[in-house]
Amino acid sequence: MLVGAVLLLGGAAALTRFASKSGLASGPTEPGLSAEQFSLLEQVCETIIPATDTPGAIAAGVPSFMREMLAQWASAKSRAEIASVLEAIDQRAWRGFGAAFLELPAESRLEVVRAFDEERVKLQDPAYGKFKYLVLVGYYQSEIGATQELHYELVPGAWRSCVPLSEIGRASAV
Amino acid sequence: MDFDAIVVGSGISGGWVAKELCERGLKTLIIERGRNVHHPADYKDFATPWEVPHRGKVPETEVAEHYSVQSKCYAFNSATKQWWVRDSEHPYSTPADRPFSWIRGYHLGGRSITWGRQTYRMSDFDLNANKQDGNGIDWPIRYADLSPWYDRVERFAGISGANEGLGQLPDGQFLSPMALNCLDTEFKKAVEAQFPTRRITVGRCAHLTEPTPEHIALGRGPCQLRSTCERGCSYGAYFSSLSATLPAARRTGNLTVATDAIVDRLDYDHTKRRISGVRVIDANTRQGKLYQARMVFLCASTIATTQILLASQSEHFPNGLANRSDAVGRFLMDHVNGIGAIGFHPGFTDRYYYGRRPTGFYLPRYINFTEKTEVDFLRGFTFQGYSSRSTWGRGEHEVGIGAELKTRLRNPGPWEMALVGFGEMLPKADNRVTLHASRKDRWGIPLVHIDCKHGENERKLAAHGNRDAVQMLVASGFENVTAFGAVDPPGQCVHEMGTARMGRDPANSVLNGRNQAHDVPNLFITDGSCMASTGSVNPSLTYMALSARAANYAADLLASGEI
Repeated sequence: MLVGAVLLLGGAAALTRFASKSGLASGPTEPGLSAEQFSLLEQVCETIIPATDTPGAIAAGVPSFMREMLAQWASAKSRAEIASVLEAIDQRAWRGFGAAFLELPAESRLEVVRAFDEERVKLQDPAYGKFKYLVLVGYYQSEIGATQELHYELVPGAWRSCVPLSEIGRASAV
Repeated sequence: MDFDAIVVGSGISGGWVAKELCERGLKTLIIERGRNVHHPADYKDFATPWEVPHRGKVPETEVAEHYSVQSKCYAFNSATKQWWVRDSEHPYSTPADRPFSWIRGYHLGGRSITWGRQTYRMSDFDLNANKQDGNGIDWPIRYADLSPWYDRVERFAGISGANEGLGQLPDGQFLSPMALNCLDTEFKKAVEAQFPTRRITVGRCAHLTEPTPEHIALGRGPCQLRSTCERGCSYGAYFSSLSATLPAARRTGNLTVATDAIVDRLDYDHTKRRISGVRVIDANTRQGKLYQARMVFLCASTIATTQILLASQSEHFPNGLANRSDAVGRFLMDHVNGIGAIGFHPGFTDRYYYGRRPTGFYLPRYINFTEKTEVDFLRGFTFQGYSSRSTWGRGEHEVGIGAELKTRLRNPGPWEMALVGFGEMLPKADNRVTLHASRKDRWGIPLVHIDCKHGENERKLAAHGNRDAVQMLVASGFENVTAFGAVDPPGQCVHEMGTARMGRDPANSVLNGRNQAHDVPNLFITDGSCMASTGSVNPSLTYMALSARAANYAADLLASGEI
């Protein structure tokens, strides 16, 4: 079984957390991701925001953004929460399909993450909320997400207070 | 004398005083405790969302260690972080069970860079309130005293808005208003039809919709509808000290600015009954320095001005400078926030807007004014309203991933509206700023201790505001309407005021009707500490008017030799 996500936390503190399922990780944690862990992150991000008629999460740099956020923004608590999400998704892949998430075909990955998303959103799970927010902000506030997927103007220069949606076409990025 | 006048603080009040004094020909020194800022070179307003560090998020451990209070301000993010103090470096104390949010920044221009830019005139309805219900003391001025000064500051600052002819919200000298959006317009119609005593107007704000030659001469240009205001505006399109008053003061050749200079205390000469000097400590080297001038304006912000007065004890003022009344530090107030409601509207799905309007709409005071209904509290509240279509952020809370998620979030979501209440807070002697008995900051200045809490009136007023906000949204066709959860701690509105109040009687007030200290004729205070009541509107425009008025009065006194 892939335990990469657990290792996001680094060492014994992380394993203790998952073993006890209590409270928050404490003690020193390692913000870095191994290549394997990063691959899992990449594929979960791409499953949530796939390439369609516009680029997906990987092309928009979402996994790299999340790696940077884990290293530079996240507290130990947030790192633990985000790691727990990846770990839980991988566990669900094993439970449902008997294989690691990375070994599944795209449609099975979608099935795994879709079921997980539905469950956790309904539960209002804060860890998954944080994870999903980072994927969304990583994508929709990237240059690709803001300018190709959505509508963004650095300097609108005018206020038109009530216009047909068809004139703008897409949701504003900000 | 080194200068004709010293102005402590460079925010909205200090900038206005300096401009007026310099234009009257007085050699004026601004003393600013924070660093120098260059307009517009030091702004980050052209960063795209993907260029902003961490997409706006400040690292969590940094927030916890250094910005535990400042981060509670809505405008705090990674692109504006430079405009807030580190709480770890600038501590203050409160009782454990009575938090107070002291939100501030130490840099040239102060909070004029990050302010909300909402600009409303107080009316006689506000200025009569203390006298009418017996809370606090009567204001020594009325609207007729302020009206010409509101005219003057509005023209110079550039205020966008619509005249409405309302008794509780006087008209002004406005640039063209920004239009209401589709849903604002619908809400206005619905509210005014069902609640004929209530009116809605577009938010009056300090933005140049149509700059005049006076604005253009200062290098200011029209608002570009970006809504990145709190980062600072390279167009100078909203009023700040840096875009407007300080450049106006500088071009007279009469302005000197000292930054990184922390005022330690004011020296008082008892034989002359005058401030004789302003003692500062260099923020970096800790070297002391004495500046002298014929008069001093304290515009350091309510709590900082109070700290300076209390720290300037002397044989003749054992309780703090200009404090024979014992009012210095007392009667601390802030508008009550955390009142209001949010809701979603099912209509207008084919309508949108272009641009990011930097203001919302305004619902002026009606309780105990146009509506004389029986309520169990004094004073009242106003609402600022904001409506927009939700965007990608809703995806976090909605079930769904994959191509379906992309398709859904590509379109704007439902219209949502927030009504944000601003409630009056009564002046109470026990809501108080004092100096900490033992703790000092890194410059050896006693820390501020803030003991302030909302009372029964504020709680009842907030509950009523929540009820009204819900009622108006539901009556206007909104769904999933939810009242705000809890009243914010005082200070959170960043309208702190009242600790050196104006009044007629030196026995119970600090300043006279011209913002001049009763006890010290060459000392003036024009920041929020001068306020005898909060009034129902956002206070910054009033600080501008009072500052301009007091500065010209002081210049008259100087010219006539009275000070």
